[in-house]
Amino acid sequence: MIALPLSRGEVKMAIASVRSTKWRSLFTMLGVIIGVVSVVTVVSIGQGIKNQVGSQIGELSRDIITIRPGKLVNVSSDGSISSVNLLADAGNGGSLAAQDISTIADTKGVQTAVPLAITNGAVSVGSHATNSTPVLAATADLPTVLSQPLLGGNFFPADTTQQPYVAVLGSFAAKTLFHQSQPLGRTFQFMGRTFFVQGVFHQFDTNPLSLSTDFNNAVFIPYQTAQSLTNNNIRPYEVLVKPATSGQANAMVGSISTALAKAHQNQQQFTVLSQMQGLAVTNNILNLLTRMIAGIAAISLLVGGIGIMDVMLVSVTERMHEIGIRKALGATNHQILEQFMVEATVLSLTGGIIGIIVSFLVEYLLRVFTTLTPDITWQIMGLAVGVSLVVGILFGSIPALKAARKDPINALRNE
Amino acid sequence: MGFGVSAIIELREVSKLYGFGDAMTLALDEVSLTIDQNEFVAVMGPSGSGKSTLMNVIGLLDRPTHGEFKFNGRSAARLGADQRAKIRRDTIGFIFQSYNLLPRLTVLENVALPLAYKGVPAGKRLAMASHMLERVGLQDREYFYPGQLSGGQVQCVAIARALVNDPKLIIADEPTGNLDSVASRLIMELLTEIHKTGNSILFVTHNPELTRYASRVVYMRDGAIMQDEATKFGEVAATALKQMYTIPERTVDDDLAGVSALMHAVPQKPAVRGATAAKSGKKAKRKPAKRKKSGAKK
Repeated sequence: MIALPLSRGEVKMAIASVRSTKWRSLFTMLGVIIGVVSVVTVVSIGQGIKNQVGSQIGELSRDIITIRPGKLVNVSSDGSISSVNLLADAGNGGSLAAQDISTIADTKGVQTAVPLAITNGAVSVGSHATNSTPVLAATADLPTVLSQPLLGGNFFPADTTQQPYVAVLGSFAAKTLFHQSQPLGRTFQFMGRTFFVQGVFHQFDTNPLSLSTDFNNAVFIPYQTAQSLTNNNIRPYEVLVKPATSGQANAMVGSISTALAKAHQNQQQFTVLSQMQGLAVTNNILNLLTRMIAGIAAISLLVGGIGIMDVMLVSVTERMHEIGIRKALGATNHQILEQFMVEATVLSLTGGIIGIIVSFLVEYLLRVFTTLTPDITWQIMGLAVGVSLVVGILFGSIPALKAARKDPINALRNE
Repeated sequence: MGFGVSAIIELREVSKLYGFGDAMTLALDEVSLTIDQNEFVAVMGPSGSGKSTLMNVIGLLDRPTHGEFKFNGRSAARLGADQRAKIRRDTIGFIFQSYNLLPRLTVLENVALPLAYKGVPAGKRLAMASHMLERVGLQDREYFYPGQLSGGQVQCVAIARALVNDPKLIIADEPTGNLDSVASRLIMELLTEIHKTGNSILFVTHNPELTRYASRVVYMRDGAIMQDEATKFGEVAATALKQMYTIPERTVDDDLAGVSALMHAVPQKPAVRGATAAKSGKKAKRKPAKRKKSGAKK
C-alpha cells in the first residue's frame, strides 16, 4: 500500500495535523478506544476465569473421573474433545443403573466409585421448608474421592443400617438452613424422616461455570437411605471414580468406557471424563462465550472505524485548499494518498494504544473491586492494536482516495 | 521541439471552456503564444480576461479544452496526472497572489516542501531550504510560522519555495496583488535578480508600473491576446503607459459607490458631491441611501 519508505517528516506532519485538532481527534479516537477496551476487557476476564479454573483443578486431585449418563461430549480417538453437546440430558442417553455402578467399581484399577443421585423433596428445619437445597445421596467414600476434608463432625460410615437418618452438609447449606457454621447435632425433616446432622464439609472451591452441582449448597445423605426411602427409585446423575494409582486418570477413562460399552452391547450411552477433560469442556464453553461477547464488543471497534472515516472526510473537505497547494508544488496522487493514510493510521493507532492503557486501568479496578482476576495477554493486546490499525487503514483509505483524486485546480480554488 | 530550441512554452489556438449550455463561458479564446527560455513576460488585462486561466494551463494545473500545448517540447495533452505533478515539481515554480503557504508548517518546512515530494532526505532538504531563505533575505525567520510574518515577507518565502527546486519557469499570478508599493518593489526586484540567473518568468499584474521589470508584455481581453509587445527593461510598456493615464478618469467616489455608470446617469451629480463633501465622511458611509434622497430633493 505504502510504496515510498515513510519519512519521519511525514509521520511528524501527520501527528502535527492530528494534534492541531486535538479535541476532534480525541473524540474520533474515542470509538476506537472504547472498542479496544471492551474487547481486551472481555477477553481478559475470560482468560482470568480459565486460569482460575485451571489452577483450582491443578491444586485439587486431578485424578477424579466422572461418569455421566448421556453423551455430553464426543471424544476423539486421541482423547481430546472434538465437540461439546450442551443439550445432552440423561433422558435420551439412558441412565446409570445399579449394575452400571458395580461395573464401574469392578473395573481394574478403580479404587472407589461413588454414585451421586439427587433425591427430590423439601428440607424443613422446624416449620421452615425449602426446596432450594438439593439433597444428594452418596456413599461413604465421597470425602476420599473428592479429597475434601470436613470442617467438623464425621462423614457417614459405609454401613448405615444402624443409623440410616444421618446427613452431612455443605458449608453454605449449613448457614442457610441453620444459620451457623457447624450445626452438629441439629435435625431437619426430609421425606417424613428426621435427619441428624453429623458433619459439615469444608468449603469447596467452586469452579466458575463448572458442570457439577454446587456441593457447598447441598445436603448429603447415605445412598442406602435414599434407596430405601424411594423404593430403589433413584438414578445416579453421576459416578465419581478415584483410580488406585494416581496419574492413571486418562488411561482409566478408556477402560471404564470399554467396560460400560461391553455391558451395554457397545451402545455408548455414557460420558466418561477425567478432570482434565472436564476442564477442557469448561474451557470450550468459556472460549465460546468469550468469543461471542468479544465479537459483540468488536462491533464498537467497527463503529470507531466509521468515526475515523467521518472525521477524515471532513478533514479532506476542510483541507481542500491545502491539497491544492501540495499538488501545485508537485505532490503526486500517491503522495497525497499516503499523507492522509498516515494520518488515519496515527489516529487509530493512538486510539488503540490509549485503549490498551485504559484496559490495564479497568483490569486493576476489576481486581480490586471484584473477585475476577482478568489477565491481559500479549496476544490480545497485539490483536486489539492490530485490529484498530486495520480499521484505521481500511476506513482511512476512502477519504484518502477522495483527497488524492482531486483535480489540482479545483482543489486550489477551494478556500 | 517544433520551434526554436529555447522555446519552453508553445500554445497553439488553445481554448478553455467552463460550464455547460447557457452557463458556458469562454475563458481562453484560441490563444497562441510562444515563450522562450529566459524571457520575463508580464501578462496584463482586466479581471476576467483569462489571465489566471492562462497561467493555470501553462502551469499544468488545468487542461485546455481545445488546441495544442507543448511544455518544454512535450505535448501536455498526453501527460498523465502524475507526470504533470512531476513536471510541476521539477520545472515550474508557482507564486500566488494569496501566497498559499501551509499555515501549520514553519517557514523552513514550507520552503522544503517541494523537495520532500522529490524524495530529498530531510536533513538535506532543510539545508537547501535554509540556503534559499538566505537568498531572499529571510534566514532569521526560518522557524517562524507564516502567520507571524508580514505580507511581503510571506511572499518572499513563497518565492524561496518556488525557487528551491531550481525551476526553468516561474509562474507568478499577481505576486504583488496583496502588497503595498514598497513590498511590491522588493518582490519585483527579487524576481529580476532570479531572472538574471537564467529562469523564465511569467507574471500577471494589474499594475502598469510593474511592466518596467518585464522584457515583454502580453495584453489580454475576453480570453484572447490583444497585443504582445517587447519592452526595454526599466521602462513602462507603451500600451501600459496609456492605460496608466486613462485609469484615473474614474473618481474615488465612483469606486466607493461601485455603480459609476448609474451615478453618471443621475442628474445633479455635482450637487450630490457637494452635499457629501459637506457632511462628515462617516455619516455618508453609514447611510448611502439617504445621500441619494437628499440629492434628489435639492
